[in-house]
Amino acid sequence: MPSTPAKGAAATAALSKSNKPTPSPQPAQPPSLSPPPSDEKPQPPLRPVQTKPTQLARTARHALPALQAALFLARFRALVADPVAEMSMTLPVTAALQVTYALACLPVAGSSGGKGGDEAAAAGAGAGKKTATATATATAMPARLGSGKRKAAAAADGGMRKGATTAVLSLLLSALVTPFLYITMILFGAPFLTHGSHTLLCAAHMAVLALFPLFFVRGVDGRAWAALGGFAAPLDDTFGGLVGAVVGAWLGAVPIPLDWDRDWQRWPVTILAGLYAGYLLGRVVGGTVAWGKKF
Amino acid sequence: MAPSKSPPKPSSSASEYKAIAAQFAEAKRRKEAQDAQTKEQQERISLREKVRASIEASRKSAYQTRWVWTAAFWVWLLLIHVVGIAYFTSGFLLTRLVLDERSECAMPPTANSTVPDLLPSWPGKGTVEGGCWHPRTFDRAVVVIIDALRYDFTVPVDDDAAFHNAFPFLYETAVREPRKAFLRPFIADPPTATMQRLKGLTTGTLPTFVDVGNSFSGTAIDEDNLLMQFRAAGKRVVHLGDDTWEALFPSYFEGNLSRAYDSFNVWDLHTVDNGVIENIFPAMERRGEWDVLIGHCLGVDHAGHRYGPNHPEMTKKLQQMDRFIRDLAATIDDKTVLIVMGDHGMDSKGDHGGESEDEIEAALWMYSPKGVFGRTKPEYVTPPANAKIRPLNQIDFVPTLALLMGIPIPFNNLGRPIEESFAGAKGNSWANLAAAERVTAAGIKRYQTAYFAARGIAPSTGPGTPAELWEKAESLVSAAKKQDWAAIFDAFAAYQAKNLEVCRELWARFDVKNMLFGIAITALGVVVLLAYVSRGDDDDVVVEDEELELAEKSLALQGIKPDAAALADVAEKRLVSSALLGALPVFIGGVISAYVGKSGDWYRGSGIAALTSIAAVLVTMYELHEALPRFLPKTLWGWMAVVFTVSQSIGFASNSYTIWEDSILLFFIATFGFVSALAALRLPSLADRSLAIYHSVVFVILARVASFSKLCREEQMPYCTSTYYASATSSTSAPWQLLIPFVASVILPSIIKAYLQPTRAYEGLAPTWIGYIFRAVLFMSALYWLLDAADNGAWIPGLSETNALKNLNVYFAQMLLGIALVAGTTAFAWAPPCVAVRAAASPTDPSKAQVQIFGYANAHGARYLLLPLNLLAACFLLSKPMGAGALAIMAWQVLALLEILDLHNLGSSSIGPIMLAVLGTFHFFKTGHQAVVSTIQWDAAFIPLFSVRYPWSPLVVALNTFAGQILAAACVPLLVLWKAGPKRKGLLDAVSKALGAFVAYFATEGLATMMWAGHLRRHLMLYRVFCPRFMTAAVVLLVVDLVGVGVALTGTRCNTMSIGEVFGWAE
Repeated sequence: MPSTPAKGAAATAALSKSNKPTPSPQPAQPPSLSPPPSDEKPQPPLRPVQTKPTQLARTARHALPALQAALFLARFRALVADPVAEMSMTLPVTAALQVTYALACLPVAGSSGGKGGDEAAAAGAGAGKKTATATATATAMPARLGSGKRKAAAAADGGMRKGATTAVLSLLLSALVTPFLYITMILFGAPFLTHGSHTLLCAAHMAVLALFPLFFVRGVDGRAWAALGGFAAPLDDTFGGLVGAVVGAWLGAVPIPLDWDRDWQRWPVTILAGLYAGYLLGRVVGGTVAWGKKF
Repeated sequence: MAPSKSPPKPSSSASEYKAIAAQFAEAKRRKEAQDAQTKEQQERISLREKVRASIEASRKSAYQTRWVWTAAFWVWLLLIHVVGIAYFTSGFLLTRLVLDERSECAMPPTANSTVPDLLPSWPGKGTVEGGCWHPRTFDRAVVVIIDALRYDFTVPVDDDAAFHNAFPFLYETAVREPRKAFLRPFIADPPTATMQRLKGLTTGTLPTFVDVGNSFSGTAIDEDNLLMQFRAAGKRVVHLGDDTWEALFPSYFEGNLSRAYDSFNVWDLHTVDNGVIENIFPAMERRGEWDVLIGHCLGVDHAGHRYGPNHPEMTKKLQQMDRFIRDLAATIDDKTVLIVMGDHGMDSKGDHGGESEDEIEAALWMYSPKGVFGRTKPEYVTPPANAKIRPLNQIDFVPTLALLMGIPIPFNNLGRPIEESFAGAKGNSWANLAAAERVTAAGIKRYQTAYFAARGIAPSTGPGTPAELWEKAESLVSAAKKQDWAAIFDAFAAYQAKNLEVCRELWARFDVKNMLFGIAITALGVVVLLAYVSRGDDDDVVVEDEELELAEKSLALQGIKPDAAALADVAEKRLVSSALLGALPVFIGGVISAYVGKSGDWYRGSGIAALTSIAAVLVTMYELHEALPRFLPKTLWGWMAVVFTVSQSIGFASNSYTIWEDSILLFFIATFGFVSALAALRLPSLADRSLAIYHSVVFVILARVASFSKLCREEQMPYCTSTYYASATSSTSAPWQLLIPFVASVILPSIIKAYLQPTRAYEGLAPTWIGYIFRAVLFMSALYWLLDAADNGAWIPGLSETNALKNLNVYFAQMLLGIALVAGTTAFAWAPPCVAVRAAASPTDPSKAQVQIFGYANAHGARYLLLPLNLLAACFLLSKPMGAGALAIMAWQVLALLEILDLHNLGSSSIGPIMLAVLGTFHFFKTGHQAVVSTIQWDAAFIPLFSVRYPWSPLVVALNTFAGQILAAACVPLLVLWKAGPKRKGLLDAVSKALGAFVAYFATEGLATMMWAGHLRRHLMLYRVFCPRFMTAAVVLLVVDLVGVGVALTGTRCNTMSIGEVFGWAE
């Protein structure tokens, strides 16, 4: 479990810093979208993303994968029967689940990228969310933060808005990346002139599953993405999910040529199944036993 | 230089004179001293020069010695592969015992039976005149074989394909005059090659693989057969057409009327047919001079091979056949039977040889104006709409013709008489039918008894076995008072069918011991290769260390001569010696024991010799490293190499993965490119990063573009669309495809130049050879295919008829091959390195000149590249336009791969050779091939030749078939030599190791396919999928071995020598 003492210490240290007023009346411009710092200076290594230390986050990050897996299994028959219709129907559902997951568990990119600051912001946001939803939250709140309920609420509200904006931007980025995933699938041998919508929807699912959380926590930090792409980043929920999704989708191609004449061998059912299985497995493993490890 | 003498001054005093003299003497002495010093210096220089030369010479000779040992090691490996494959094949390819017994006219197989004959005695019984075993129906027979006449060519089909509805005569007569003619599907037993079919059609037996082996050498049939029986009965046989008959039945035919024509010139659609048609009608006039007339037309088959079935030429050919048979039928009298048949069908592209449905479904039509043919059921009058309904076995032709002509059925026959021929005109002569069936079945029974006796095995008994069925049928004959003829007929037919089934199984008898032996040899061969590749992983990386080189040289200059023996010492030497040591005694012992014991299996000696030889080598390897080498890779790249090779090898156990191999290879290529692009993100320099991503993306995109070139195998249908030819049912190129080679000839040389430019290696011979000659050869190859298409499509009226274009094209192709291979090899052998020496102003001090060597950094690679390019040019011509495009893409991909490997610093990783092997295999599929016999493009043999000539024709077909693998093998040294400067050491060793990894890929595949074919020997898909894949893998392995030694290693030697001459010996 991620709540090792060292990390906890880092988190508290960050928390104390974040007490300074967060400059967020204009959350429309998350700092994450600023250009990455120049590559000249030796950079500290990329740190794994830590999920928010709230109860809600803890529950969500275990419940959501189970929910996603259950949904996929429940709808598998429909997927086999009509892949395009089913994939276009489940795409918004998956996106909604992923957004929920991001808002509930993941730190927003920005002050961010696994640095201490964003964890604080994340904690704030999480806390704020809870306050806003008027549940009993005081347990998770450090006393210092709640010097005044209104102030805290305002900060929380800001964090929430920032999270929402980041989520929207990340979804947009995922949509932008989808054509590239589509092209990659074609290059791997997906049908070129036929089954266009099949492949495109599969690519969209991949983007929403594997890339959206990464956009949410890493923004468009070039250095982070170079590390992620080069498989040099430390494993965590998000990166584990990406690795799992890629490997799963790759392995998903294996049963296609078999002459079993099963309906589920239809394009791209196996890819999608591999993608979901790999992603969920990667996310869980990356967030737990393999957390912080590197390839 | 010379000390200036003081100019003599005008002087009057003696002292001055003395002073001058002294000065002069001084100067003279100084000069002499200096002269002496210079001389000494010169001597020293020349001495050093001599020492240097002797070092060079010793290094050179050491290199040559090492090269010889390395090559010897590879030859040894080749031998191991040959022995392993041969051993496995000897157990895997099926054999059948050939019996020498002959049927005799006076001795019907029913003679010894206690059960009475079914038919009352007929006049002339037991003689040829009356009919030996059955009453005779006809005096004469005319048998016309229309090669590759598929059943659907002869029946009405509701579409407008070029091959449908063009030959309606057979169907029309069968429908209009059912008593005079009938038409039925005629199923061939695979392999569907003409020679095997003729054996089946005359002996009535099933072909086995040993028959295949014999057929290529064209041995005469010595089993009992129809023609032998005709000759024994004193009948005169005339043959016209395909000369395969002459090879099978030498001196059987009447010399004055028979004409044989060359059968292998598939370009020639008309000579054989015209010969048959011109000679058959005069022969029909002289009917007193023959009893059996055989005509064998090849035009339909050749049209299929050359154009594919769906081509106007095929329509014309079938229409010609229609007219021919129409005219011929008009000349047939009441005493003569006319039989028209196909010996096999053709697949969707017009080829044959395998066992797909289209290949085995031929047609049989029998005709006699006498009106003797009947149908046992009224619905049988209309010929079947397709070949799945009421098919006949081709061997049924043998008893049918024998009984109709009154001769004995050949001893080995397994077929049954054809119902229509014996059912009587009304279709109710059940007694006649039952009698014919019984006498045939008795013959089969007699053969079975003799066969089992000869093999020394007991036939199985019990319910459902042939023995039981036979007893049942015989008891029916003897028991019933009023005989139920139909039941008797059915009982004997059931016996025949069951027996045929048993024979099919019986002759699928494998020698498992030999198969295991072959697998063991091949498997150990793979182990040796892996050990060889992974030996000394870290210590002998390719080094380019200037300081070390200088130190070594100065040591040598001081007179400390390096030990020549040590220089020439090489691991391969010890390996080869131990291999010989291990093999020779056993081999000689085996040969002697075979000779003394006359056991005849000397080859077992060579098998055991191979095993002991491998064992000796493995022991030596173990000693050399004093530890088992690590087979498991250490990096992600190494793992990828292992996964690609092993997963594919495992996949060959499944027919699906074997069938879809081309898509799987694309998937692997894309995976490598994808990983390499991602790994590029780890590179520190931005320039390297972008370059690596760029080359990876190019690598993958090119593979995907090439993947549009597809030639689907039957099993891939309906999920695959062939694009290699103009359509799925043709074997000519579409007009747009003719553009591909032209585009390639324009673009490819520029791309190669662009890959040489960054290292400034586009120097020396490169601009001339690549920029002009290579480009010109590619362009003219494109022109060749344009002219070829013009000839095929008769674009220029009047030219095709005269064959002028074809003749021109053959010489054109010969010239291009001459430039690419002969001139190209010569140029490669004599070319100086691709470098240029230029003087330029020094950047630091513009007043001083500086000598720059352009292309230094890639001196080895740029020069070696010329060799694969020559091969590429030859293969470019010999592949169809689509394949030429694929090969051009492959060349580009190889260059991209070299850059990727260089940027990732993977020079010594196994992923390079493995990717090259994957690329080569991928482009095997992209040049219009599949791992099935029918996709061999035999017509390629006629690109540079008019007729079949050995050894050139097989060589040309091999270059066409294995272009991808051959090119890849020739490119293996580039993995090491690319961007290697002239001072790099250990190149030979590195090349040999890279070759080892490359060959290991093919050896593993060969082993895997061998194991699977052996394991799945009872699988339904054995002959369709597993066996052809094994044969492909085996041939590819040997081809790759040969190219590895003959091109890659030899080319490396030649290259190193040339670089060494110019830059001094680094090795």
